[in-house]
Amino acid sequence: MGFRYRPWGVGSDRTLAYLLVTPAVFVLLALSIYPLIHSVSLSLQVNSGGAVNWSLANFTRLLSDQFFLAALGHTLVYAVSALSLEFFIGLGLAVLLNRQIRGRGFFRATLLVPMMLPTVVVGVVWRLMLNPNFGAVNGTLKGAGVDTTALTWTSSPGLAMLSIIAVDVWQWTPFMFLILLAGLQAIPQEPYEAALIDGSSAWQTFIHVTLPLLKPAILVALLLRTMDLLRVFDQVFILTEGGPGFATETISLYIYRTAFRFSDFGYAAAMSFVLLVITNVISSFYIRVLQSREAR
Amino acid sequence: MRIPVALILALLALSLYGCQPNRNSDSKQLTLAINSGVEGDALKQAAKDYEAQTGVHINIAEFPYANLFEKELIDLTARTGAYDLIMLDDPWFPKFASQQLLTDLGPLLKTKGLNGPDEDFVKTSIALCREPYETGTLHALPYVGNSQLLFYRKDLFDKHSLKEPATWDEALAAAKTISEQETNGAPGGGKVYGYVMRAAQGNAAVADFMPIFWAFGGEMFDANGRPSVNSPEGIAALKFMLELGKYTPPGYASFNADEVGAHLLQGTAAMSINWPAWISSFNDPSKSKVIGKMQFTTLPGARNPGRAEIGNWLIAIPRDARNKEAAVDFLLWATRAEQMKLSALRGNPPTRRSLFTDAELVAKFPAYPAQLRSLESSRPRPRTALWNEIENVFGIYLSKANSGELSPDDAMNQANAEIAKILERGK
Repeated sequence: MGFRYRPWGVGSDRTLAYLLVTPAVFVLLALSIYPLIHSVSLSLQVNSGGAVNWSLANFTRLLSDQFFLAALGHTLVYAVSALSLEFFIGLGLAVLLNRQIRGRGFFRATLLVPMMLPTVVVGVVWRLMLNPNFGAVNGTLKGAGVDTTALTWTSSPGLAMLSIIAVDVWQWTPFMFLILLAGLQAIPQEPYEAALIDGSSAWQTFIHVTLPLLKPAILVALLLRTMDLLRVFDQVFILTEGGPGFATETISLYIYRTAFRFSDFGYAAAMSFVLLVITNVISSFYIRVLQSREAR
Repeated sequence: MRIPVALILALLALSLYGCQPNRNSDSKQLTLAINSGVEGDALKQAAKDYEAQTGVHINIAEFPYANLFEKELIDLTARTGAYDLIMLDDPWFPKFASQQLLTDLGPLLKTKGLNGPDEDFVKTSIALCREPYETGTLHALPYVGNSQLLFYRKDLFDKHSLKEPATWDEALAAAKTISEQETNGAPGGGKVYGYVMRAAQGNAAVADFMPIFWAFGGEMFDANGRPSVNSPEGIAALKFMLELGKYTPPGYASFNADEVGAHLLQGTAAMSINWPAWISSFNDPSKSKVIGKMQFTTLPGARNPGRAEIGNWLIAIPRDARNKEAAVDFLLWATRAEQMKLSALRGNPPTRRSLFTDAELVAKFPAYPAQLRSLESSRPRPRTALWNEIENVFGIYLSKANSGELSPDDAMNQANAEIAKILERGK
C-alpha cells in the first residue's frame, strides 16, 4: 500500500474517505439511480380504468406502434446523416486549420461561434431564415435567380428532414472540429518525419499516420455526438415540431408528447428505455473499438 | 465522526423540506397557477387589486402555455394541494374533471347564498365548465371567452365586388378571385393570397379544420361513440380544405399562428379563420400594413350553419386545494362583471353577455357583436379525456394530406383507425 497519512490513527482515513464520497453517492442515487429504477418500474405498469397492472404490454405495444417505429427511423436517419456530415466537414476543417496559414486564429475562433449559441436561439433564427415566404434563405436564392416556389424547407415532407439535419450540421460541426484539432495537435512530429524519409505521399501519410494516431480523438468525438443526436429534442421541436405530418418527429419528441401531453408515463418510460438500450449498444461498440486499439 | 454524518442528513432533510410546496394553511393566502400571456396577466393584475382590497396574499405561479397543462396535471394527480386556483384551457377540462381532480363548485356557491352560476355568463361558456358537458356538475367558471372568427380584407372584397362569405363555397370563390386578380396587390408589392391557414400537425391543423368539418356535416364520433372522421362528409371537408390550400401561401402545411398572423399583417393574405387575440394587432402601426382594412365575422356554413370552435380560459379550484373557502371568494370576485370588464379592457374577450353589449367596450372593440354571435353559436372540441392524444393524431393526418403526402381518403381512413386505437387503449 505504501505510505499512508494517519493523523487520527488507524482506519480514520477510511472513515474520512467514506465521508467525502457520501455527498457524491447521495447525488448519484437521487439523480441517476432512483430515476432509472423508477422509470423501469413505470414502464412495466399499464394504467387501465384507474387500476394499475404490471405487464409487458408497453413493450409489446412498441412493436405495433407505427408512430414509434417511424420516429425511431427518423432518429436514425437524422443521427447517421448529421454525424457523417459533421465528421467529414469537421475533419477537413481541422486538417486545414492545423497548418500554419494566415489568419488561423481568426478562423478557429469564428468557427466556434455556432456551438456557443443556445440551441433554442439557433432553432428560432433558422426557423425564420427558412420561412418560405419571408425567410433569408429563399430571399437570397430568389436574388440569385433561383425559382423558390417549391423550396418550402421545413414545410415540405421531403425537405424538412434535410433542413433539420443542415441546421444541426451548422451548429455542431465546430464541436467535431474542436476535438479533432486537439487530437491533431497532440500527434508528435516523429512519425511524420519517418514517413517523409520513407517517401510516403501526402495521402499515404494521412491514411497511415494521421488517421491511426487520431483514432482516440475521433472515437471520443463520434461517441459524444452520437449520444447527443439520438436524443435530439430542442432544435427539432422549434424548427418543425415534428412536422409536417410526422415527417421529422424524433424519438425524444414522441416520448415528450406521450408523457406530458397524453400523460401516458408508462409507455413513455418504455420508449425511453429502448432509446437508452440503443444508445448504450452503440456507445459500447465505440468504446470497444477504442480499447481494442489501445490494447494493441 | 457521527456528528458530521448526522449533520449532513439533517441538512439534506432540511433541503428536501424546502422543496415541499408551501404548507401554510393560513386562510389569508392563496396560490394561483396561471399561463404567461395576456389572459394570465389580467388575472395577475386582478390578484394584486384583490390583495390590496382584502389583505389576502396571493402567490402567482406562472407557466408558459406549453407547460401549464403538464404542470397542473402532475400537481393535481399527485394531490400536492399546491394550488388553490388554476387557470385551464377548456380542452383540458374533460381530463381534469373526469378524473375528479376539481372541486364541485355547487356546494361552495350554496355557502355563498348562490344557487348556481350567474345567468349573465354566455351559455356556451358555462356549458364548458360542467362535466358532463352542459348538464353535469359545475367545476369551473369561464374567465376569457374566445371563439373563432372569419377575418377578411374588407377593402379587397369591396374592390372585387365580393360579399361577406356566408358559405364556404362563397369563401372559396372569393379566395380564388383575389389570388388570381391581386398578383401584385400586397403593400410591399407581390401577390396577395386569397386565404391563409395553419396546417402544422397537432392543434393548429385541427383548429383550422374543425369549422369546415362541422359545416360539411362531419362528426368526430358517431352516435355510438365510435370515430367517424372518414365519413363521406369528413372526406369531402378535407378535400375542400385542400381546395382552399391552392389559394394559401406555399408551405402552409407547417404554418402555425405566427406565420398566419404575419401574412395577414403584411397584407399578403386576404382571409383566415383566427382567434380574437389577433384583432388588436391589425390597428398597431408598428406591426400592421393593413390598418382599418380587416373585418371580422362569424364563420361560413355549408350543409350546416357555420359554427366556430370555442376556446375559453376557465378558472377552477383543485380538489385538494387547501383554502377552498378563500379560493371561491376570489373566483367569484374575479369573474364579477366589473372585474371582468377590467380584464376585457386589458384585451381578453369576456364570458358575460352584458359585457359584449357594454357600450364602452363595444366602442373600443368593434368586433364584439360578431364575437358574441360567434361565441353563442360555437361548439366545443369533442369532449373526451383523450382529446390531447386524438387531436395530435388527427392533426398529423390533416398535415399529411395538406403537404401532399397522403390523399384525403387515405388520410381520413388512417386517422380514423388510429383514433379507434386510442379509444380502445383508453377503455
